Amino acid sequence: MSAGLDNLKHIVVLMMENRSFDHMLGALKQKYPKINGLTGAESNPDTKGAIVKVQPNAQFQSQLDPDPDHHFPGVDLQIFGGAPLGPGRVANMQGFVKDYFSQTKDVNRSHNIMSYFTPDKLPVLTTLATEFAVFNGWFSSIPGPTICNRAFAHYGTSFGQVGMDIFYTLDTSVQSIYERMIQAGRTAKIYYYDQPSSTMEIVNLLKNQPQIFGTLDQFVSDCAGNTLPDYSFVEPCYSDHPGPDGGEVLASDQHPDHNVREGERFIANVYNAIRTNPTLWQNTVLLVVYDEHGGIYDHVVPPTCTPDGKTASADATGTGEPFAFDRLGVRVPAILISPWIPRGTVVPGTEDPANAQIFEHASIPATVTDYFLKGDAKRTQREQKANTFLALLTDQMRQDDDCVVFNNLQ
Amino acid sequence: MPPKVIAVPKTDSGAYNPNRPAGTLLQSQALHMREALISHVHQLTTLLNIDMKSLKTEADVSSYVHRATALLHTNAGKPGKK
Repeated sequence: MSAGLDNLKHIVVLMMENRSFDHMLGALKQKYPKINGLTGAESNPDTKGAIVKVQPNAQFQSQLDPDPDHHFPGVDLQIFGGAPLGPGRVANMQGFVKDYFSQTKDVNRSHNIMSYFTPDKLPVLTTLATEFAVFNGWFSSIPGPTICNRAFAHYGTSFGQVGMDIFYTLDTSVQSIYERMIQAGRTAKIYYYDQPSSTMEIVNLLKNQPQIFGTLDQFVSDCAGNTLPDYSFVEPCYSDHPGPDGGEVLASDQHPDHNVREGERFIANVYNAIRTNPTLWQNTVLLVVYDEHGGIYDHVVPPTCTPDGKTASADATGTGEPFAFDRLGVRVPAILISPWIPRGTVVPGTEDPANAQIFEHASIPATVTDYFLKGDAKRTQREQKANTFLALLTDQMRQDDDCVVFNNLQ
Repeated sequence: MPPKVIAVPKTDSGAYNPNRPAGTLLQSQALHMREALISHVHQLTTLLNIDMKSLKTEADVSSYVHRATALLHTNAGKPGKK
C-alpha cells in the first residue's frame, strides 16, 4: 500500500453534467501528446454530405441551444453513424452532426456539435487535468441520458434502465453506496447545491434518509471543520433560480445551455474547500467527472464492458434492439486530484491497448466499497469487475507550494 | 514559496436566465420529486391513521416517534456531524 493510500481518509466525487472529453479537454493534446484528445482532423459528415471538422470555437453559452440529443436512440446514431441495426455494426462516431440536425433543423447550426474549448477558456478544468491525473478512458456507463448514468455512480447499476424513468420500485437487491457505508458504521453524504436545485439521486430521497443529504454550504463547512464524511458526492446547481435574498443563483452543472464558466467557478470552489484545509488536503482524494457526454462529439469509440445482468427491451431503448449493458457510453472528462498524485499523470485508455485502464461510473462505488468496506457488499457483476482508481496515489506527497490554488471566486 | 495561484474569470453578466425553458433533466427531476412526495404522503397517512390509544408501551411510542421524526426531520443546511 502506498503512503498516499495509508493517509487517505476521505473520497470526494464531484459529478458535472453533459460534456464530452474532446469538447472540454481535447485541445490539451497539442501541448500534452499523451492526452488522447484532438488532432484537429477529426470530422463528421453533415446531412448534406459535407465534411465537418472539429472546431476550437466552443462558447460558454447559447451555442448548444437546443439541447443536443443524448437519449438512447440519439446516442446510438452518434456512435454508429446511422448504420443499419445488426450484429455486424461497427461504431465509428460519425453520427453527431446528423443527430444534432434533428434538433436544430439547420445544417450550419448542426455543426456546433463539433466545437471544442481551447485551454485558455477553461483554466480550472484544464489546470486540474494537467496538474494531477487525467483519464484517457473514463466512459459514461450507458450510451444514454443523465438519470441512468448517475445511477451507476450511486449503485453500480441502473437496474436495467436506459432512460430517465423512475426505477426505484423495481429492484432492491443492490444498495446504494451510501446505505452500504452507513450500515457498516462508516459515513457518507450527498451534498446538493441548495433546496431549489436539490438532488438527482431521488431514490435515497424517496427512502426518506435525511442523514444522507446535505447542502453545498454544509460541504464547505464540513471541509473547514474537519467533519467531512468518509465518502462525499457533490452535486452542482442544476437551474438558474432566485437566491434566498432575491439574488441570482446560476446553474453550475454545465449542462447545455447553462454557462460553462459558472461550472468552472463551481469546480474551483469545491477544490479550494479541500485544498485550503492543510489536514484535509493531505488525506482526501477528489474525483471530478461528468455524468455523460450530452450529445457532444468525442472521437473515441466506447469499448465493451461486463454486463450487469440486466437487459433493456427494444421498446425501452427506442432503437428496435434490446440492450444488454455490454458496452459503455461516450467518453467523458475525469480528473483525479490529490497531493499524492504526480503532476501530469495521464491514465491510458483505448489508444494504448497494452496498458489501457478503462473506467466508468461503476468504478466509483467499486472504489469506495473496496477501500472503506474491503469489498464487503452485495454488488452487481458489473461493479465487481469495474476498475478502481486509488492505485494512482503514490508514496510521494507534493509540497504545498507545488499544488495550485484558485482565487477570484467571490 | 507560495503555491501557484490561478484567477478564475467571472461568469458573464447576463448569463442568468430563470425564464429559460426547463429541459428534460429538470422536467424529469420534478416528476421524480412528485413520486417521492406520493411516497411521503403514504407514510404520513399511515402514521396519521394509527390510533394513538394503541400506543401502550414505551416501545410502541418510541417506534411511532421514530417514524414521525424520520418523516419530519431534515438535516439539510445544518452543520455536519461525523
